[in-house]
Amino acid sequence: MKVKVATKILEANDRIAAENRKIFDGAGVFVVNLMSGPGAGKTSLLERTLAAKGGLRVGVVEGDIAGSDDAERIEKYGAPVVQINTGGACHLDANMISDVLGDLPLDELDVLFIENVGNLVCPAEFKVGEDMKVMLLSVAEGHDKPLKYPLMFQESAALILNKIDLLPYTDVDVGKIRKDAQSLNPGLRIFEVSCRTGAGIDEWVAWLGREAEKS
Amino acid sequence: MHEVSIAANLIEIVSEQCRKGGYLRIESINLKLGRASGIMPDALLFAFDAMKTDSPARDAVLMVEEVPVSGRCGGCGGTFTVQEEYVLHCPLCGGGSFQIVGGRELDIVDMEVSE
Ligand SMILES: Nc1nc2c(ncn2[C@@H]2O[C@H](COP(=O)(O)OP(=O)(O)O)[C@@H](O)[C@H]2O)c(=O)[nH]1
Ligand SMILES: [Mg+2]
Ligand SMILES: [Zn+2]
Ligand SMILES: [Zn+2]
Repeated sequence: MKVKVATKILEANDRIAAENRKIFDGAGVFVVNLMSGPGAGKTSLLERTLAAKGGLRVGVVEGDIAGSDDAERIEKYGAPVVQINTGGACHLDANMISDVLGDLPLDELDVLFIENVGNLVCPAEFKVGEDMKVMLLSVAEGHDKPLKYPLMFQESAALILNKIDLLPYTDVDVGKIRKDAQSLNPGLRIFEVSCRTGAGIDEWVAWLGREAEKS
Repeated sequence: MHEVSIAANLIEIVSEQCRKGGYLRIESINLKLGRASGIMPDALLFAFDAMKTDSPARDAVLMVEEVPVSGRCGGCGGTFTVQEEYVLHCPLCGGGSFQIVGGRELDIVDMEVSE
């Protein structure tokens, strides 16, 4: 006998993400799901953002397969931080975020960053309750990445092109990255930054502040 | 990349539906899988077969229908389907104001059960 199921496999995750979102909205905190391949500079961007601040009260959730190095880096800036270890899972999901909500002073925050597991594929598929997704790509990763990993570029509100201090040492075509990324996602904001020199950070922090205010 | 967790979710959803309906076994499951879903059919089939053993789906065959990426163009009003995982411009008129309408599916359609 045939039985209709008509269910999205990720429905349970989407439901929990919506519940998280409600809690974040209730506390008035703007949530950014920060994604990239391993080593593109997510934690470095958070360190720069925390140093610049621009009057924002920022908290951080660190997602890693193992270890607490990133959380320790963030703690030095005096920001509330929670470390999640996924124990092998290649992305954060809504349930993992739901489990740590009680460990964060949400009412005292303007912005909460969720640093996802380093991976250019799956983090884009799982909502965690964020207001927006932001991705990083370091120029050292090459200009073929938008077309090889289109989903993350399509889902993100902003692309941070990091490590521009390395441009003289690479043959990367930044124009191609911009063109392909914007063809995939015409609304995409692109920031060229260096977390090493601090170039472009002010512009990013100012934009973040405006987005957080809007919501 | 995470076909194992997708297979686990899939088995959980169909097993619950099976029990709720009072059926004994699941014979087959029809799945729609978008080409831009990030899930590889072969890896999903492998994970499903490895994980189904202790469930009502232990003998079930997973049938995967791959769904290509498709879109609707705001410029020329046409609809289109592409072979790639992405669309950079409308293949009909070359314009950039299109909407993706299909290709992200990860949906269970129906299943064949027995009592
Ligand atoms: N040259 C250069 N190195 C950077 C820059 N940003 C980050 N890094 C380095 O890249 C490595 C990975 O950075 P990290 O922030 O840990 O990346 P994550 O894995 O995405 O969190 C570290 O050694 C950083 O010092 C940059 O703008 N320029
Ligand atoms: Mg990190
Ligand atoms: Zn994953
Ligand atoms: Zn067209």
